[in-house]
Amino acid sequence: MSESANYADAHAVVLSSRVRLARNLRGLPFPDRAPSAVRAEVCQRVMDAARERLPLQEALAGAPTLRRQLLFEGHLISRHLLTERPESAICMDAAHSCTVMINEEDHLRIQVLQPGLALEKAWQVANDLDDFLEQKLDYAFSSTLGYLTSCPTNVGTGMRASAMMHLPALVLQNEMEPIANGLAKIGLTVRGRWGEGTAALGHMFQVSNQRTLGLTEERIVEDLGEIVRELEGHEQNARARLKRERRLFVEDLAARAKGILTAARLMTAQEALERLSELRLGILLGLVRGLDVQLVDELWLAVQPAHLQAAAGRAMNSAERDKARARMLRTMLKGRTPKRAQKENPHE
Amino acid sequence: MLCQKCKVKEAQFQFTKTEDGQVVKLSLCAECAAALKMPLADKTVDLSGMMAELKNQLDQLQETLAADTPPAGQHACPVCGMKRTDVLKKGRLGCDRCYEVFGAEMVPVVVSLQRGDQHVGKVPKRISSGLRLSVETGRLRRELDKAIAAEKYEEAALLRDQLRALSAGKEQL
Ligand SMILES: [Zn+2]
Ligand SMILES: [Zn+2]
Repeated sequence: MSESANYADAHAVVLSSRVRLARNLRGLPFPDRAPSAVRAEVCQRVMDAARERLPLQEALAGAPTLRRQLLFEGHLISRHLLTERPESAICMDAAHSCTVMINEEDHLRIQVLQPGLALEKAWQVANDLDDFLEQKLDYAFSSTLGYLTSCPTNVGTGMRASAMMHLPALVLQNEMEPIANGLAKIGLTVRGRWGEGTAALGHMFQVSNQRTLGLTEERIVEDLGEIVRELEGHEQNARARLKRERRLFVEDLAARAKGILTAARLMTAQEALERLSELRLGILLGLVRGLDVQLVDELWLAVQPAHLQAAAGRAMNSAERDKARARMLRTMLKGRTPKRAQKENPHE
Repeated sequence: MLCQKCKVKEAQFQFTKTEDGQVVKLSLCAECAAALKMPLADKTVDLSGMMAELKNQLDQLQETLAADTPPAGQHACPVCGMKRTDVLKKGRLGCDRCYEVFGAEMVPVVVSLQRGDQHVGKVPKRISSGLRLSVETGRLRRELDKAIAAEKYEEAALLRDQLRALSAGKEQL
């Protein structure tokens, strides 16, 4: 199997897996309640503890908005830190797969990202990083409630595990809404990566656990993995049905998406995400030739506003961005090898 | 299996006792058990009596451990100054101490959204010996509940002895 076929196979439905652990330092007020001096102290202590493993460290408070936006688009910081939070910071490894956010809602938020469906692996890496940090940090912990967090819905393991899933066929077949409702009943959250509910832009969904207390980390990851695999199966079946029963419809959808992405002169982020999803589906169903899924998956980020501006090396207003976005998409999808936007941003 | 005392009759009862810190299992026939003043009569009745006693001991043990936690019900957290009204309004806590101060009110709400009321996951390596002890007690207690529910009385008795040993160790601290 070729490298690109391997990639397509491993990422057809699940693009990435993520594990986040919320931790706080013992005896110190949580960031929202802490005086500035305490937050600064926490920031320094965590940075020192993390430095050896996570050498890329930067303060977020006082950083340019565009920088925070870039990190946010790459899922490296949360929405909470997108707005300027005092004494907040981020520590990253060179690959940007392990990060620690400091002074978010909790003193520390450890995050580990893995490509494809790899929740166990993400937990192992996060657990190991947590062990490492714990050599130098005393965590707030209770024998009954586990790790103590600012929001009581995170107590226990402090763990949020999630999978990023591309589910276009389930949406097109109108099957997504009942599935999302069913998952909520068994303690999982489904939300659009961009946009809300089933109107999720780019048919991209994040599925995560709600419960953090009364379950081991292994069990959380195992339970979620099982559901994600099941959901992956539903999506694959829906894709097969779509190709069998509505072939002309889906072929048309993908061909139009390709046409627009390779010809348009102005492109909003929203339209780009919608067309990329349809194109991706077409490629995976073998209805669009000459393009590979990996390229599309690089574009999810490259079309975002801060990534466009970082690639251009300058701030752009919305009209300028629409023009630059359309040009970037035309170049990338015509199969030439332009200077990849990803070179300049940290999200590969 | 033959009775370990007379080595003649079939053993009907199993007992566990601690001798010099070693857990010793004993399988006895009805007569030998009676001669040794082991609780007897109907097998199930006996064992449930034993379990009731065991439960009682555990509750006492739990009380001793609970006496370590500071009293709840204060109106502001002494560490972060968070007030009860803020906690209820925001649904957030201000620091780890808040969990003790407002625990009685917050915990049942939290637990109702969760899978259980007990943390069963990872435990930090760097915690105080007192905290480690109560983590371990909690773990043994859960195992004991499971053993009792599954009617694995022999295992339950072993767990009880471990719990006793833990609490004895605690008193020496
Ligand atoms: Zn005998
Ligand atoms: Zn407090």
